[in-house]
Amino acid sequence: MGGYGDVKLLRDDGKRLDGRAIDEMRPVTIEAGVLPAADGSAMVTHGLNVAVAAVYGPMEAHPRKIQRQDRAVIDVRYNMAPFSTGDRIRPGFNRRSREISKVTAESLESVVLVERYPRSKIRVEIEILAAEAGTRCAGITAASVALADAGIPMRDMIVGVASGKIEDTVVLDLDKAEDNYGQADLPVGILPNTGEIAFLQMDGDLSIEEYNLAMEYNHKAAKEIHEIMVDALKRRYEGGEN
Amino acid sequence: MVELVPSLLRQELDRLAADGQRIDGRGQFDGREVHLEVDCLYNAEGSAKVVWGDTIIYAGVKFEIRTPWPDRPTQGSLMCGAELRPVAHRKYEPGPPSPESIELGRVVDRGIRESGCIDMEKLCIVPGEKVWGVMIDIHVLSDGGNIFDAAGLAAIAALRTAVVPAERFDVGEDHTLLVNGTPIMASFKRAGGRFVYDPSEEEELGGDERIHITLGDEGHLHSLQKGLKGVFTPSEFAEILAVAEQKCSELREMVAEKEGN
Repeated sequence: MGGYGDVKLLRDDGKRLDGRAIDEMRPVTIEAGVLPAADGSAMVTHGLNVAVAAVYGPMEAHPRKIQRQDRAVIDVRYNMAPFSTGDRIRPGFNRRSREISKVTAESLESVVLVERYPRSKIRVEIEILAAEAGTRCAGITAASVALADAGIPMRDMIVGVASGKIEDTVVLDLDKAEDNYGQADLPVGILPNTGEIAFLQMDGDLSIEEYNLAMEYNHKAAKEIHEIMVDALKRRYEGGEN
Repeated sequence: MVELVPSLLRQELDRLAADGQRIDGRGQFDGREVHLEVDCLYNAEGSAKVVWGDTIIYAGVKFEIRTPWPDRPTQGSLMCGAELRPVAHRKYEPGPPSPESIELGRVVDRGIRESGCIDMEKLCIVPGEKVWGVMIDIHVLSDGGNIFDAAGLAAIAALRTAVVPAERFDVGEDHTLLVNGTPIMASFKRAGGRFVYDPSEEEELGGDERIHITLGDEGHLHSLQKGLKGVFTPSEFAEILAVAEQKCSELREMVAEKEGN
């Protein structure tokens, strides 16, 4: 979190630069079953972010050393397209995408009934086509819908949401400027039916009270996004076309 | 992942070819439905999405400022790359770029470069010091067959709708990229012993060699590529070239129509 104090992020009327209220999320749209080649897929737009997830499997886990005798392994790759950011990024894995892939896989393993598929692998591919702060959350949401679309049994889906702090004010769902010049970012993955948390990261500076408020905002937003996720899956399977 | 070619699929393709049919009911030179969308991605200076049957491909254009090559101080550069990411099919695995993705990127690159549609001199900002580097990245999201034609179409459509972000780099005002021409690719695959246009996934799996032809606005050839095992006769090539001319002009019209919107 850089540049605290030098960029004005809240307007005089208390709204944010893009006109949102402090506890207002950017618009979210979700579509399930967007990729014909995949076993399950979803596209999530969250503000200007575009995340696409594909699920393949369960399939044989190879090489054999990654196999687990009692459960499936979830192999997640989070990848940003070269044209997804302001400056082009070189294709390929970097430290950031490796870390996000790892913690996303671990959160998905917490909800997928992996014990149903011993010695197998479930591949989850997350591709970010456009990035404007909040791609890991959009990716988690997309991955959850894609897993459900693939018919893989889960305890619950995971909703990716984030809150943060700008100009000493806790706000829901940071955009690019707020992420660059704000004071804190708290992305989480919430199980909407139980309120449990499967994904948690944070950087910046938050008091305990600010953390509690940010989490309150996150839980509120998770409920809203969950409805959109369920709606996307219903649209996909209603009418018997698929 | 090793792909198995089931002998039953090959036999079926042979049987269908004998009756002049294809596995998905198309005629020998019929293409699948194609949808093109341009300017569809935030952050890319030019972008396009192509849905071609079950194949889905995005292309994005980015610009960077670089120093020109010493022997070409007034020329910018163009690069086109492709990624066959594991998202696109269960057969694709993570890792460094595969020979297949390199071939795809280079064949599309040659068609655009050799058509001369980008004037490298026009990409010069300060001779000997600053030129634009134009980068087209092809991102395959779903491989349902014939990714070459879909990638070529996405790349040229993204390029033709690109805006040079001069203001962001503090070198003047933003302006549309000058592109003089619309090179288009048409691909053919030997399936069941004869060439078909726009191969499906099954025809790619159970077929033999493939031929990619890129034609410019005047109908001139700008890139040719033969891939995979197999040989073809001059008369076979003459036949598919005539089909390519028609297919390319249809797709060129589609690009022009999208630009107008």
